[in-house]
Amino acid sequence: MARSSAGADLGAAIASIERRFGTQVLARGAFTEQRGGERRLRTDTALDRITGGIAAGVPIAFVGPGTAGKVGLALRVVAGAQRDGGMALWIDAAASFDPVAAVRAGVDLVRLVIVRPRGRDDALLAAGAALRSDGFRLTVIDTGPAIAPAPLRADDLAPLLPVVRGSAAALVVIAEQRASGLALPAITFERVAWETRFGRTTGWIVAAAAGHGTERALFHGDPSGELRDAGTRADLAVATG
Amino acid sequence: MPARARISRWPPDDRGDPLKAYLALVVPDAPAVPRARLLAALCAMLPRVGVADDGAFVCDLRGTERLFGPAERVARRAISACAKTGVVPAAGIAATPFIARLAAGDTPPGTVRQIAIGAERGFTGPLPLAVLPLGPPVVAELALLGLHLVGDFLALPAGAVLEWFGAATARIHALADARIEEDVRGVAPRRRIRARRLWDDPIDSRERLVFALRATADEVAATLQADGQAALEIVVVLEREGRDPLRLVRSLLPPTADPAAIVRSIRWGLEELSDAASIGAVSGASLEVSVALPARGRQVGLFAPDGARAEEAIAVAQFLRTRLGPGAVLEARVVDAEARLPERGAQWRELVR
Repeated sequence: MARSSAGADLGAAIASIERRFGTQVLARGAFTEQRGGERRLRTDTALDRITGGIAAGVPIAFVGPGTAGKVGLALRVVAGAQRDGGMALWIDAAASFDPVAAVRAGVDLVRLVIVRPRGRDDALLAAGAALRSDGFRLTVIDTGPAIAPAPLRADDLAPLLPVVRGSAAALVVIAEQRASGLALPAITFERVAWETRFGRTTGWIVAAAAGHGTERALFHGDPSGELRDAGTRADLAVATG
Repeated sequence: MPARARISRWPPDDRGDPLKAYLALVVPDAPAVPRARLLAALCAMLPRVGVADDGAFVCDLRGTERLFGPAERVARRAISACAKTGVVPAAGIAATPFIARLAAGDTPPGTVRQIAIGAERGFTGPLPLAVLPLGPPVVAELALLGLHLVGDFLALPAGAVLEWFGAATARIHALADARIEEDVRGVAPRRRIRARRLWDDPIDSRERLVFALRATADEVAATLQADGQAALEIVVVLEREGRDPLRLVRSLLPPTADPAAIVRSIRWGLEELSDAASIGAVSGASLEVSVALPARGRQVGLFAPDGARAEEAIAVAQFLRTRLGPGAVLEARVVDAEARLPERGAQWRELVR
């Protein structure tokens, strides 16, 4: 009886805190433990140096034009999430997920669930279910190209923000356009240089920057889709688009 | 209440063996709802009731004679209990569940057929092969050999049956010959776990409603914990003044008996409602567990800290498969990393079938 009374008291205390400060302020011990700095998702690239890794319970957007390396970096994050045996969910709104590229990036496809939503509501349902369960370390939403017939926009994901803040999983949103009405932290990707040989384009340099920081992580991309780490630079000027 | 059930015995002068008795009840084509009621009625009466693959109910009567009386009396009482639910089964009593089912299938509804120990071959011998769960190719092959009755089939040496028809047919041969017996796994009827509250003063605030629902969640969680169960799906019905009741169905992942988790899920459900501001004045609410699973702890990830969470991830995938339908929850496999066309490099398949 004493135990049930203690449980009721605890329930009342939780209700009181949630009523006053919102649902996201309380999380189970396991969640909080996972959110420690040592459990950040790392890509083992220069991106870790500018972001410190991607933390659980925090949303982040990879924003930039097509072929700027957003998906390639997101796949590295998935590989990082799977390093300790974790599962990841990839919401593939444009049905453009490439399993071969994923394996090249170090992703274990056995521990990756891919959801192809038929619209915004399906995407929100899938992401919400993954973020609320303890089963996933990472949820990625690839909104697809902006030229798609009914593209999913970063702004459509507003209902997920309160959910991810109480979650054991991280949320990565891949989008071409930055969210206009959401406080969604973003890493912006842009091409800064082209590499040519004998008059033909053989690769390009992509810079990724977090927030308003001056330091940028550089990556070398090539037509095969491979993305190689090229270190960081603080004084890089945008050369071309 | 039907008339006293008629009992036919094989051989006619046998009185049965109380130490080896199974009772089978066969209800042809009973729909699901009466079937659940039948199971509840039998479980209320007997200690061990199982459901066989073919849907027959099998009751283990071993050791129950001093408590319940002879097997045929138990069978009569079981038929009466079932008749109260609107379905009259046929009953069979034998030393093995399989023979008891055959006996029940060979007698009209409302009657009992009892087979004595050692008399199984005498009973099954004249039956057609169709009463055995043999595959059509096996029946056709036996027919080509001129074997049409169970007795003909049982006359074949067990070793020859195993060699010619395989292990599955050999097992049926042994079951029909009462050389082996199936294990009766007891099942329990589903218990309804529900809590309801009515309030004198209707609640028109979402926060107050969530707080008030905490009492129902505590009650449901206490029942779940007492039963060793965890809720996978709950249904909340809000009774609103002057409006239709509002029904919320929530899936809980992972399944839980924790009242705080149940309340959190209800809170999220209310927050997700598009007309959350206009829930209205709620004068009562009921919370029912619509799907429950045995509660269990979490496996410790010995070698990979997150590895033990895969089960919960698969539970989420199953939930999404249910909600989003086929073609939405997938897994990919690379079949040829060097394929010239990307679509030939990988295979896609449903993660949950």
